[in-house]
Amino acid sequence: MQRILNVFVKYRNSILYLFLLVFSLIFLKANSNFHQLKLEKISLFFSSSIYSFSNSINRYFHLEKENQRLLKENEVLKSIQIKSNTPFLYSEGYNNKTNFPFDVQKVNIIKNSFQSQYNYIIIDKGAASGIKIEMGVISNNGIIGLVQAVTDNYASVISILNQDMKINVRFKNRTTFGSLIWKGKMPKKFSVEDVVSTSSIKKGDTIVTGGMSSYFPYGIPLGVVTNLENNIQNGYYKIDAELFENPAELYKAYVIENRDFKEINSLMKNIKQ
Amino acid sequence: MNSQILKMMGSFVLLILAQVLLFNQINIFGSVNPMLYLFFLVMYPFDQNQTFYIFIGFVLGFFIDFLSQTGGAHTIASLSVSYLRPIIMKYSYGLTSELPKSILTDPRKTNNFLFLLIFISIHHLIYFAIAYFSADAFLLIIKNSLLTMIFSLILILLISSLYRVK
Repeated sequence: MQRILNVFVKYRNSILYLFLLVFSLIFLKANSNFHQLKLEKISLFFSSSIYSFSNSINRYFHLEKENQRLLKENEVLKSIQIKSNTPFLYSEGYNNKTNFPFDVQKVNIIKNSFQSQYNYIIIDKGAASGIKIEMGVISNNGIIGLVQAVTDNYASVISILNQDMKINVRFKNRTTFGSLIWKGKMPKKFSVEDVVSTSSIKKGDTIVTGGMSSYFPYGIPLGVVTNLENNIQNGYYKIDAELFENPAELYKAYVIENRDFKEINSLMKNIKQ
Repeated sequence: MNSQILKMMGSFVLLILAQVLLFNQINIFGSVNPMLYLFFLVMYPFDQNQTFYIFIGFVLGFFIDFLSQTGGAHTIASLSVSYLRPIIMKYSYGLTSELPKSILTDPRKTNNFLFLLIFISIHHLIYFAIAYFSADAFLLIIKNSLLTMIFSLILILLISSLYRVK
């Protein structure tokens, strides 16, 4: 207390000066409209910059919430986008179809690997959220994999970075089909096989999902053709492709469910017998 | 001592009246009015209580503002200049040398003049900066302060020589 008083006594002139200065500024403001306007402008400048600073801090704390909101919005938009991709060959037939059999669900990837030749992913939703075996997992710009096993709250996914995975693809705006297979070295380098050398393909063509399997709908963009070799001896193209998105760097994904999966599968079984 | 206080109070009232009734109506070159009332702050003894001096500076400016309807520019200028007086004094008389009792009795003419010059120029700059209160009027502020400063300086030098004769 003594110290505070000492400081007060020591700086009494400055304190008195500041006090009287504030008083005279108030006096000035009250007496002159011109000065009132100017001072209000200055105070507006200071208060607005302080508010914008605190607002930016507040926004930072709300980022998580905002993120969740955006992901939810994305979920809705993604299902709309998938529904709107109708193949150009059968466009009329698909447009007339009244039911689209795919549902979209948002998940977090909690474990992702790419070092091995046979990679797996763990996601944070399982049977309790309606995840079943053989559902497709996609991201914003491509495929991630297929659900392989489920527990109550988690599910394991065979990554697209697994040399056992063969994905049915086609080239955008062309009629050619092929199979996308990981080369096993870099996470984004893939090759496309089973493309007959008579079909017309160019470097830079976009690769999309083919829609022939019941796992993924038609038209999810996957990557581009980076290199093209026509192998005359066996009659197939040798195609190198690069993905749009690195599957090893993702931490959010969407699980898509084909509601007609059982129906289609039962038909397949009938064909085999 | 008593007569000293009476003399100060008398010159306080006289200087305010002279400023408001006479010197605010001069309008040299259309707008320049010398500020004589600063003489009170200049001649106020240096060895008195600084806190009380700041308060006097405030009251003086307040009265001038009140009677000549100039918002608060005189108050802020004279308050600031009385707060800064010890610093101005140190600069104009030298940091180590003995500080004078009053500007009227001190024999160091150059230092007295320097003190007056700095004191008045700071006051006028603050006054016109607040009166115009805009960065666009920078040149106008400088021009007005310089012109008014010349006349205030001449007047205050004259008055102080009169006081000295007494």
